[in-house]
Amino acid sequence: MPNNVALCAEREYSPHAMAKRVLVVDDAIFMRDIIKDIFASGGFEVVGEASNGVEAVERYKELKPDLTTMDLVMPFKNGIEATREILRVDSKAVVVMCSALGQEALVMEAIEAGAMDFIVKPPRAEDVLAVVKKVLGEA
Amino acid sequence: MASIDISRYLTLYVSEAQEHLESLSDNLVKLEQAGSTGEVIDEAFRHAHSVKGMAASMGFELTAKLAHRMEDLLDAYRALKEKVDRASVDLLLSTTDALLGHVRASAEGKDVGDVSALMGALERKLYLLKPDTSPRPSAPPPASVAAPSAARGLGLPPRYQIKLKVAAGSATPGVRAFLAHKRLSGLGNVFDLRPPLDDLKAGRLADGNFSLELESTFHETEVRAALKTIADVELVSLKVIEPDAPPAPKTVEPEGPRVVGQEPARTVRVRTELLDQLLDGAGELLLATARVREVGKSVPEGARGVLDSEVDRLNALVKDLHAKVMKARMTPISVMTDRLPRAARDIARRRERDVELTITGAEVELDRAIVDELNDPLLHLLRNAIDHGIEPPVEREKQGKPPRGRVQVNVRREKDRVLLEVEDDGRGMDGDKLRAAAVARGLLTPEAAQGLSAREALMLACMPGVSTATDVTDISGRGVGMDAVKRAIESVGGTLEIESQKGKGTRFRLQLPLTVAVVQLLLVAVGDETFGLPVAKVSGVVEFPEAQLAHSQNASLLPFGNALLPVYSLAALLTVPGDDGVEQTRPYVVVEAESGKVALGVDRLQGQEEVVLKALSRPLDLVPGLAGVTILGNGRPIFILDVPRLLV
Amino acid sequence: MRHVVFRLEKDRFALPLSAIREVVVTPARFSLVPRSPPSVRGIMNLRGRVVTVVELSLLLRPDHPAIKPGTKVVLLDRGRRELGLLVTEVDGIEVIEKVGPPPPKAPPTVKGLARLGALAITVLEPEALDIAVMASFSRAVPSPR
Repeated sequence: MPNNVALCAEREYSPHAMAKRVLVVDDAIFMRDIIKDIFASGGFEVVGEASNGVEAVERYKELKPDLTTMDLVMPFKNGIEATREILRVDSKAVVVMCSALGQEALVMEAIEAGAMDFIVKPPRAEDVLAVVKKVLGEA
Repeated sequence: MASIDISRYLTLYVSEAQEHLESLSDNLVKLEQAGSTGEVIDEAFRHAHSVKGMAASMGFELTAKLAHRMEDLLDAYRALKEKVDRASVDLLLSTTDALLGHVRASAEGKDVGDVSALMGALERKLYLLKPDTSPRPSAPPPASVAAPSAARGLGLPPRYQIKLKVAAGSATPGVRAFLAHKRLSGLGNVFDLRPPLDDLKAGRLADGNFSLELESTFHETEVRAALKTIADVELVSLKVIEPDAPPAPKTVEPEGPRVVGQEPARTVRVRTELLDQLLDGAGELLLATARVREVGKSVPEGARGVLDSEVDRLNALVKDLHAKVMKARMTPISVMTDRLPRAARDIARRRERDVELTITGAEVELDRAIVDELNDPLLHLLRNAIDHGIEPPVEREKQGKPPRGRVQVNVRREKDRVLLEVEDDGRGMDGDKLRAAAVARGLLTPEAAQGLSAREALMLACMPGVSTATDVTDISGRGVGMDAVKRAIESVGGTLEIESQKGKGTRFRLQLPLTVAVVQLLLVAVGDETFGLPVAKVSGVVEFPEAQLAHSQNASLLPFGNALLPVYSLAALLTVPGDDGVEQTRPYVVVEAESGKVALGVDRLQGQEEVVLKALSRPLDLVPGLAGVTILGNGRPIFILDVPRLLV
Repeated sequence: MRHVVFRLEKDRFALPLSAIREVVVTPARFSLVPRSPPSVRGIMNLRGRVVTVVELSLLLRPDHPAIKPGTKVVLLDRGRRELGLLVTEVDGIEVIEKVGPPPPKAPPTVKGLARLGALAITVLEPEALDIAVMASFSRAVPSPR
């Protein structure tokens, strides 16, 4: 626990000029690739990927990214659970859900759990970047 | 750095502190009406004191400080034996809310908001009461930092009126709006959300517009900044509403509602999911036992005696366990009604109504799942009663009514049902206007509307188009979202009736089952399939020769008592294959549908069974006319039919 | 990535292993779901849980001639809700690294095409299957009269 406090503090002081660091979580490789390309085109740095909820939490702890995109339905641990756990580790974590149309109820559950925003799959670059810049307070 | 891992105690802290603060809020409301300073203020003081101690030991300094100031003020009142004035009750209630906010924030590991405005208000109040002993209050913080009017007047946090709009191109307006709502509720208390949350979540927004009022200690710039982080949601307007002015009319002092016969409930907190899992487990055990008994039948007769008696013993134990789990799920209705006095007070003050709320029978118990479902509907009925039922004091006097309106919530057990009534002595509902509204909305033809009985006309208030039409709200005297209320009541197997007399008042009667989890079913066969009909919905069963049914237009009619009931084939209704060939005589099950009694033709009757109802998970919940699913003793899953909805 | 490879008659399909909870033998009977779309075979009792099972062939290609009843139910792991897919037979678990683009006009349920030795395999998108089932239900809802 105290360890995590230290981690959070460290992130707060990271220089602003640096590209924002992103963790991409999705169980489909092709979806991760699409999202990664979008972030690259927007000047973000994708620092890690995870293909399920358990891995997502582990990677989060290790990378402390500025932003995490999170798939809703994944094996082992779904996106909502993973979001909850990440926020327990770091209450300032910025998690953005990736959802398909028709998953509105799950998205709202994720928002209840503390997710900051959501993007709809298939992701369109301009939408994703607009949402992400807003939640990071850059727009 | 703290060496003990306090996080282990966090859950306990959160639940206990919330319990204290909820009781404290009750005490304060009582204090205001009774003006009593004795026991109630002692109790309030103790709750504040406990919260302070708990927060301090958890290391939540701001929470502890705020609770400490509150404790000081309560102590001053206690020592001076002085009546606590309304402004102070307001301040103390706001502080309680802020503390609840702190506790929730701590539970989520978040920082608590700024407390300086409230601290300042508490200190000033204390200074006025005991100028000699209390420290000089710090000056109100400069306006640029402080919330705009928090330090002024009553010490209530400021209230913002916020109008928002979801961008036209958004594919998911409901979720966008919900996100904004969630973000704002993180900053304070949200009131007067329009449209109501259910509609908002479903994306039923007029042109993407929605609005709410936010009571928050955050500064306007912070509220605006929070809204800026949400894509596709545009801020239309944000303005500060001044907190309620001090009591205005001199002759009729609008007071908070009065509470009679309300007992605080002592409860242990158990997570609802755990209760559900326990019940699932106990249900599975019942089934497993039945299966062991089936298997036992293949054991040779001679060796079976011991096995049978052991299975009997196991069965008895499991049944007992099941009954105990059911009992553990029973929750007193006070869990729902305890918060009504506070809510009534707030609504009454905002609407400048004078209301006395009486609650009786709050000790009656219901299944946890029903209590959870009814929380919001009950609050909604109360809000409607005060908002739209009770007239302003002046208007009441003109009509020869006492200026103070009465709202009663009465609960009693009647056999295996619970009857819950919400009654007001306000202006009543106007059936003719509801008829007109339904016609105007294209829901009924003028002839059909005229054909409705007075009682049926009142139920029009529960039709989606009628109840959500804002222009109808005020004339018809009943408000938004009654359709959601009715749906929630029916989803737990209850019924809603409305009685109303123009000028005299309105009574909502909710009939509720004690439990949702166990239902007595009549099992019927259609072809190879078995379906369950809740026995509560069945009025009778008759065997009747198909050839002798009466006919009118396209419908077959079954003589039942003195009436002829419309006949439906259950196979056709459910679109499942029935038995081949025309039966000479087949059973008809008479059930209560929305339109009255109807007869369902089935192929065979298969007896009654008491089953544990399971909720439908996706995609089964998308099928209209299904109430749930269960697994019979033979391991077969069957559907339980939602009789009122079968024919809709 | 490891995939579960299965057949609908002769045609081979695959789903990512990570999206699958388990494979079970088709039960002796299903209970029919009232008012459901044609692709829904029924519900089954899986150790006390109620699982909705769909005929995958009818879900993927509604116009294709009916095939013989499947022998296995592939259970998708979709969080709290349970969805079973009825298939002719399950071949096994294979590593599929490269998934090529889907054929033109393929429905969204098809993620792409892959080769396994000489075999052509259609790789499916679990999320899209889930959505297709929901969508078929919202369309089905027949009115009784």
